[in-house]
Amino acid sequence: MSAHAVANEFAKMRRLRNGLIAAAMVAAVAGLSLLATVTSPAFAAPGGRVWAVPLAAMSFAVPLASPPLLAVLASRQVDIEHQGGGWLLNQTSGIAPGGLCRAKFAALGLIVAAATVLESGLVLGAGLLLGIAAPVPAGLWLGFTGCVLVANLVLLAVHLLLAALIDNQLVGLGVGLLGTVVAVFAAGLPPALTHTTPWGYYALAAAAGYQGERLVAFTPAYPSTAALGVLAAVSFVLITALFDRRES
Amino acid sequence: MSHIVATDGLTKRYGKRAVVQNLDLRVPTGCVYGFLGPNGSGKSTTMKMLLSLVQPSSGEVRVMGRPMNRATRRRLLADIGSLIESPPGYAHLTGRENMRLVQRTLGLPEGQVEHAVRTVRMHQQLDKRVRDYSLGMKQRLGIAMALARRPRLLILDEPTNGLDPAGIEEIRELLRRLADAGVTVMVSSHLLGEIDRTATMLGILSGGRLIFQGTRAELLAASTPDVLIDGSEPERANALLQAETGSRLDGASVRVPGLDDKATARAVALLVGAGIGVHGVRRDEQSLEDVFMDLTGGGGL
Ligand SMILES: Nc1ncnc2c1ncn2[C@@H]1O[C@H](COP(=O)(O)OP(=O)(O)OP(=O)(O)O)[C@@H](O)[C@H]1O
Ligand SMILES: [Mg+2]
Repeated sequence: MSAHAVANEFAKMRRLRNGLIAAAMVAAVAGLSLLATVTSPAFAAPGGRVWAVPLAAMSFAVPLASPPLLAVLASRQVDIEHQGGGWLLNQTSGIAPGGLCRAKFAALGLIVAAATVLESGLVLGAGLLLGIAAPVPAGLWLGFTGCVLVANLVLLAVHLLLAALIDNQLVGLGVGLLGTVVAVFAAGLPPALTHTTPWGYYALAAAAGYQGERLVAFTPAYPSTAALGVLAAVSFVLITALFDRRES
Repeated sequence: MSHIVATDGLTKRYGKRAVVQNLDLRVPTGCVYGFLGPNGSGKSTTMKMLLSLVQPSSGEVRVMGRPMNRATRRRLLADIGSLIESPPGYAHLTGRENMRLVQRTLGLPEGQVEHAVRTVRMHQQLDKRVRDYSLGMKQRLGIAMALARRPRLLILDEPTNGLDPAGIEEIRELLRRLADAGVTVMVSSHLLGEIDRTATMLGILSGGRLIFQGTRAELLAASTPDVLIDGSEPERANALLQAETGSRLDGASVRVPGLDDKATARAVALLVGAGIGVHGVRRDEQSLEDVFMDLTGGGGL
């Protein structure tokens, strides 16, 4: 994958409104988190202004807002190749289909990473503004954000491959919606199920949550998330290498 | 080197079905090669194999004297411009933005892109979005993308497909100019009339097989025009010849297909022997279209 190919992906984003979609993701996560924080009974209770509340809110908002928007982002960036004869055009210019997918991942991945960091930062800022006096649990916050980032990037890769493989983009978008349902209810699923879909990893990343009415702190599942990241990276490289050999 | 493209026994099978069979193509350097065949005869598949975008089931491709395969294609493709099936172009971008993508991918100097755009006369329409282009403009932008790298070989798959007569003429004229500038052009079509005056060499594909390869004159010579016989009793003459030759009445004449000189003499002798007064025997004029139709079994026009 060359720097030219990645630069081209950014150039292709013109008028695709990918920036807007990424901004929508940030706004949705930050907005939902804020809403869930200020409406939380735990937050209103005396001594309830603790970091676990916004962390729990974000652990709820991220799986709700991220999967559908990641699906849309990937689908738009890939569909232009199907529509515009881009696979052949690039192949005859030396960028094979797998290389094109890798370039798309690099370009969109940068945007998704920036969005993830931004949304996390916004929620942190909101917590400070809302007057949470306790020291910021920096390690936990970073770890949670890192796990969400891994889940986001893995999902982005899954949707890029899906969009490239199946011309009809409704399939990928449908999977994205289905995944959202899985992601939202993953916390209630048995761990074996949570571990076997990429959407489950949002639940595994959670840094806090409610058990009934009670607010509890969690430790994000670092080893599982790291394993997912490695597995996904290796799979992505292998699958795109197969794409490079695909015939048009 | 005399042939810029040469294939030996080039074959592509999908499952058990051979869609391209045993092709021995020879494309002379510097010519316009018309690659003709009805729909589904295997033109696009062949062109993709020439570019190594589809791997042959058997046989070999040599381009510019070197074997073309997965390992070598990247280097070779740098000197080949191509347009396969439908013209490429990102609809949400302008022509200029599309050309910039090509320029960046191939690392081309600005002037070269500019020249390609001028060659296809697209410099006026470059700031429109491709979604607002007519089919003809899309084809020309696609050709500009192919030309930007200054190719030695240009492979165009049905570049006149769907164009009106003016658009077709424009592409023809463009191909001639390119050939004059020293680019070898291989262009496919399912309509002989679209390229026969432009092409100096023709290859005709039917059902995946190359059924003719040569110049236009050779193509005409390779076919046997119908014989028209005028005589005193056309109905009886036709009845005598029909079973053996498939003859039919054509006005006051009997039209007999596929007769060589010897067979013609025998037919005349037969009629004279039966007491029919033969007073005229002539060969019909045959157009290239007729020949093409004969060869391909009527799949084209
Ligand atoms: N990937 C594939 N799998 C199976 N069959 C294929 C594949 N690609 C092409 N074919 C078949 O091979 C035959 C030749 O197709 P090809 O597109 O090369 O013909 P063509 O001469 O370009 O036709 P047209 O004039 O319609 O463009 C067709 O019958 C087509 O259905
Ligand atoms: Mg075709």
